[in-house]
Amino acid sequence: MSKNAPRDEWDNPTQFVLACVSYAVGLGNVWRFPYLCQMHGGGGFLIPYIIMLVLEGVPLFYMELAVGQKMRLGSIGAWSAISPYLGGRIFSTPRHLLFVCSSQLGGSSYFLGEVSLRSLASIVTSMYLCLYYNVINAWSFWYLFHSFQSVLPWAECPVNSNMSGPIEECERATPTQYFFYRSTLNISGSIEENGGIHTGQAVCLLLAWAIVYLFIVKGVKSTGKVVYFTATFPYVVLIIYLIRGVTLHGAANGLMYMVTPKMEQLANPTTWINAATQIFFSLGLGFGSLIAFASYNQYNNNFEKQAVVVSFINSGTSIFASVVTFSIYGFKATFNYESCLERLRLLLMNTFDIAEGAISLENVNQWIADLNRTQPEQLSSLLDRLQTCDLEAELDTAVEGTGLAFIVYSEAIKNMPVSQLWSVLYFIMLLLLGMGSMLGNVIAVLTPINELKFISRNMSTETLNGLVCLFCLLLGLGFTTRSGNYWFTMFNDYGATFSLLFIVLIEVISVCFIYGIRRFEKDVEDMLGHRPNRYWKIMLAGVSPILLIALFLFYMVKYIQGGTPMYQAWDKELGKSVMLEYPPYAQAFIGLLLVSSVSCIPLVALYTYCRKRTPVSGRRERRISTVST
Amino acid sequence: MACGVLPVSSGCATTHSFASAPWATNGVAKMQNGLPVLAQNLCHPDSANGYKVRISIKTALSDKAYEWNENEMYFFQASLAFAMRTYHLTKPYNVNNIIVCNETQRVSFWFVVTSPDNHTELISKAEVEEAVRKSRHRINSAFLLTDKTLEFIDINPTLVPPAVPDTPPWLIVFGVVIGAVFAGIIALLVSAVLQKRKKAKDRMEDEQAEEDIHVNGLENGIGLDGAYNRGFPDDDRFTKL
Repeated sequence: MSKNAPRDEWDNPTQFVLACVSYAVGLGNVWRFPYLCQMHGGGGFLIPYIIMLVLEGVPLFYMELAVGQKMRLGSIGAWSAISPYLGGRIFSTPRHLLFVCSSQLGGSSYFLGEVSLRSLASIVTSMYLCLYYNVINAWSFWYLFHSFQSVLPWAECPVNSNMSGPIEECERATPTQYFFYRSTLNISGSIEENGGIHTGQAVCLLLAWAIVYLFIVKGVKSTGKVVYFTATFPYVVLIIYLIRGVTLHGAANGLMYMVTPKMEQLANPTTWINAATQIFFSLGLGFGSLIAFASYNQYNNNFEKQAVVVSFINSGTSIFASVVTFSIYGFKATFNYESCLERLRLLLMNTFDIAEGAISLENVNQWIADLNRTQPEQLSSLLDRLQTCDLEAELDTAVEGTGLAFIVYSEAIKNMPVSQLWSVLYFIMLLLLGMGSMLGNVIAVLTPINELKFISRNMSTETLNGLVCLFCLLLGLGFTTRSGNYWFTMFNDYGATFSLLFIVLIEVISVCFIYGIRRFEKDVEDMLGHRPNRYWKIMLAGVSPILLIALFLFYMVKYIQGGTPMYQAWDKELGKSVMLEYPPYAQAFIGLLLVSSVSCIPLVALYTYCRKRTPVSGRRERRISTVST
Repeated sequence: MACGVLPVSSGCATTHSFASAPWATNGVAKMQNGLPVLAQNLCHPDSANGYKVRISIKTALSDKAYEWNENEMYFFQASLAFAMRTYHLTKPYNVNNIIVCNETQRVSFWFVVTSPDNHTELISKAEVEEAVRKSRHRINSAFLLTDKTLEFIDINPTLVPPAVPDTPPWLIVFGVVIGAVFAGIIALLVSAVLQKRKKAKDRMEDEQAEEDIHVNGLENGIGLDGAYNRGFPDDDRFTKL
């Protein structure tokens, strides 16, 4: 991308909106929001969720789009080409220079063609995300390819070596768990036990990165066309699943469970904090992806309307996905409950030699009561095998994350008729959601790298993008080893969570207080034609920073007070997950993850301050003299 | 069936008894006392050489379930005799060699197998097991049941190893997809390279044309008459690579 080439742009505003939707609507909408809904009182959770969306989500989204769309006009040449007056306007106050510095920290700037340390913290965080997020896509591919079989591999336990029965690990756990932990991940017992790379996973990861490269190889021109599909097709699948889901036997149980609000949860502060956190992460703020997307916009693009539209689409999708998820939950819980009753019925029939038609699923419990009266000794001999079947307990098992997506859902799918079709559809949807978010993350990393002049002069965009993808692929292979899933969880929990809060907090403070809300207003007016109204100003300058600071402090306290961080490990003897403590080197690595992205901000500030102090080239001196006049 | 009047050898050596329960809804078995005392002694629950059979017709066939009655029992005895014959190819087993007792409403019962040579001698448990295993599929099919619904307690069905295809099917789909993706990437890269070359070529042409204009103009002292029409580039000037 040479200096004189015109900046890449979206073909039309729809592409930009779809790109944002595709990026924001991701796996978290499907596997995190339903979990939170379940934990915090079902329908009642919507209240804090919508409130937080209005207070924090939409304003911060708006701000990121504004920054990105404005800063696209980075090089002074472009400014001056539009109007020399505008060119001079940039340096009218020392405060603006500070804004440029601070936007080097949290926003974007290609100041005068020198090396731009644009949002180094955002790049580091996006890089972490790029490394581990594509592993989820690799798993989705693995499951997708394995759906093309007459019997889904996670429907039955495989037979052991001497053909006498199913494999013990599969017996103790469930076939779906066995398929995920053993066949897909080949997981070791703890993070310390390493192992070889799982070749199936490795090739799936290669495929995932190849597809990402295919989508971004031509820059936003190719991405712009891809997002038409990645943004809309998941909705098609969700609608199909909604229809399938609510017609499943027992779906009503799940839906009732979701809709019944437990209002007392609203008094719990964790509910509000989780709502705020979910809105924040769901919109994908702070990675630099939104800024990168917006930087390819036309200058006068109406991002205000788009910000509101995308935020509400994102939240609406979360709610929609949780309706689907709860109907699937209801189906699975009812299925398990009825299987439990069936097992009981069989047990009673076989032990007491009762005729087949006499006991049905409905009167099993009544029979147990009768038998307790008439033949108590025989009944007591069965006592250890007589488990109580409880529908509520089944519904109460709240699962989130990869467990929900790959274990619970696939368990529900295997019981549906024509399960291969539903499986294929579901994993294609997961893939599209994951790919859409992945595109955003990769573009967040590539856009600033492509703007580094010393790189763009020597290398074409395609080569550079390819090298970055290759680099991420090679590092990502570490997550396909036997202990890879534990490292994945570590990255997922610590890599991008805390630092994002800090980054966005700095962004808001720098835009509103260092740059000044008035200058920001003027810039918005310049772009849109009208000033932001009071809602935006109050939220951006007042409410959102306070909320962010509160969240930041809460998590800092939680991390400090939380004691040794623990993780869930799969115990193959027991056939279930156990909590283990992280070993010291893993804890050190967690600290490194947290510190590395957060510390970029003060480090870059220091660097910029030092460079400002010692003028390197004549151009810089000229600039400073412009400032003083 | 009035078994009592017929002699033992005609294959009517069965007795029915069921655990009477106050909640029994359909009496499928009848009280019969036609069995010789000897046969009764040979067949009893927990017999050393006997097996318990459990049949779940309704589970297997739901709507198309048939009633279990003496005819079905006779059929069962016949199929067991067939199994024994197939196993012991020389000995001619008969239906009356299969003695059944303790039939319940569950439809479960015990059976023992007597030797055709000597009616008091029981065939050992191991041999019966082998015979049943060998013909298990035939016995199941005779009753439209499966290993799970026609259970011989203590004879575990040999699990059929799942058919393992030579190439796992997922690899095939994977191969197709990754081939398509790499083809796409190569196509895009090649088109990008071609575009760049074309741009470079065009630029070189422009520069050359401008140079010509300048050179010619200076030499002649007068400007070129007419504008250079770039619609028809002079390709002969450049050698094709």
